[in-house]
Amino acid sequence: MVRLLIFTFFSLWAIVSAIGVITFTNPIYVILWLLSALIAIAGIFFTAGAELVGALQLLIYAVAIAVFYVFVLTAVPWEKAVKKSSHYRTEGVLSFPLILLLYLEIAVVFLLGVTASPEGQLRGLIEKFGNTEVVGSILFSKYFFAFEVVSLVLLIGMIGAVLIGRKENQTYEDDTR
Amino acid sequence: MESVALNLAVAFVKILVILGIVLGVGAYLTWVERKVAAHIQRRPGPMVVGWHGLLQPLADGLKLITKEDLFPRYGNRFLYNLAIVLALVPATLVFAVIPFGPEFEVFGYKIKPILTDVNVALLLVFGLGSLAVYAVALAGWASNSKYPLIGSMRKAGIIISYEVAITFAVMGPIILAGTLSTYQIVVNQIEQKLWYVWIQPVAFVVYMFSLLAETGRVPFDIQEAEAELVTGFTVEYGGMKFGIFPLVEWYIEVLSLSAIAVVLFFGGWSPLNIPFLGFVDPLFFLGPLSPFVWFLLKVTALFLFILWLHWTLPRYRIDQITEMAWKIMLPLALANIVFTAVIAPLIWK
Repeated sequence: MVRLLIFTFFSLWAIVSAIGVITFTNPIYVILWLLSALIAIAGIFFTAGAELVGALQLLIYAVAIAVFYVFVLTAVPWEKAVKKSSHYRTEGVLSFPLILLLYLEIAVVFLLGVTASPEGQLRGLIEKFGNTEVVGSILFSKYFFAFEVVSLVLLIGMIGAVLIGRKENQTYEDDTR
Repeated sequence: MESVALNLAVAFVKILVILGIVLGVGAYLTWVERKVAAHIQRRPGPMVVGWHGLLQPLADGLKLITKEDLFPRYGNRFLYNLAIVLALVPATLVFAVIPFGPEFEVFGYKIKPILTDVNVALLLVFGLGSLAVYAVALAGWASNSKYPLIGSMRKAGIIISYEVAITFAVMGPIILAGTLSTYQIVVNQIEQKLWYVWIQPVAFVVYMFSLLAETGRVPFDIQEAEAELVTGFTVEYGGMKFGIFPLVEWYIEVLSLSAIAVVLFFGGWSPLNIPFLGFVDPLFFLGPLSPFVWFLLKVTALFLFILWLHWTLPRYRIDQITEMAWKIMLPLALANIVFTAVIAPLIWK
């Protein structure tokens, strides 16, 4: 009962924040709504008993990722940020079919996932060993290959970023030496 | 139903005690800092208000509260005020997962002196700790002024770099303890008869550097470098609104991170440690109070050490700070994780 109340509270909070993200025009407010939505989702994870995922949601999404938006946006000139009209009306309309498609995909994945997931098998493990340990042991045994491939993808992304961000010594005179 | 009500009541009392201690002590640490700084520089410090200036924080608070509330004309008032809330709330929330002592019994009811002993406490600490970056960025942006913006960008860069280093630094103790719960980490150290600082000195040094960087203490206080930026992102704040920022950054965050350092590296509430042999307790005569006193003593010692650094060192340049984070601290922390993974089985046995 208490759990349902808390879950409803966080869900409503997340939905309101998500609406805020798409209705506000000032980019700083949009980021704050996004942050609020991410924190609400972390709350939902905590309510569901998935502390590790909740804490990672806070640490990685709410802090590490959203903070980069803030970092970029604080460099946006003040006049541009408070401008009312949006540049992306046509793009918004054009993206509508894509959004429908993505929703369809989410529905399909959800339905497939419900039938495929081992019902109640993990619960016993989690109660026995705790959240973090179970996630770790599954990640490094059953899903080890997928895990390594994902980290390889991240490594490639990082190398790309370093490559783009490195100094081009040839393109300009280095007077600082 | 009765137990739920009892639990709520206990939690409520804990919250009140923690908030009272944190905010009260936080305010009084301004006095400690001024005294220590003064004596380092061979002057008496505040002496006029009360005995040796003991009432100085109250006088300061009164002055800050009664000051005129100035606001930059083209700033954003909502975000300007929100930044203060975002600075204060996560910093105080961190104290929810700090264990102040061992479990004890009152009227046959067991109480752990920690607000929530969650399984992922350390992840929460660093998640909440880095939420502070929003306060800094918003304060700089909402002021609509040059100095705050530059200061907040610097600070945000520092926090992002050192957040990575600090997270990798604490991995060492976490591997040794085999848990993320702060309470359990201390219990494990007592069981293993080992302060983790003895085999994790590298992690401790990286942690201390990151602590100084995250809280904006010298030598990392480049975001408020007085000579170039006046006071950085707090330039446009006045009165108590200004007072909150140093209170949070310099005292509350330093306190919480020092407490976490004590938990991770100095065995929390345990007395003096001889590695692998046991503990020596010169304060045994205090009886059941001794663990709490030990915890307080360790946090105080760490805090005084940070003050000592603050008032002795010159500050780094911003490029030196970020370079150190990525080129020295992060590789050191990674090497330390590898080293810990190799020796961990020896400790576990």
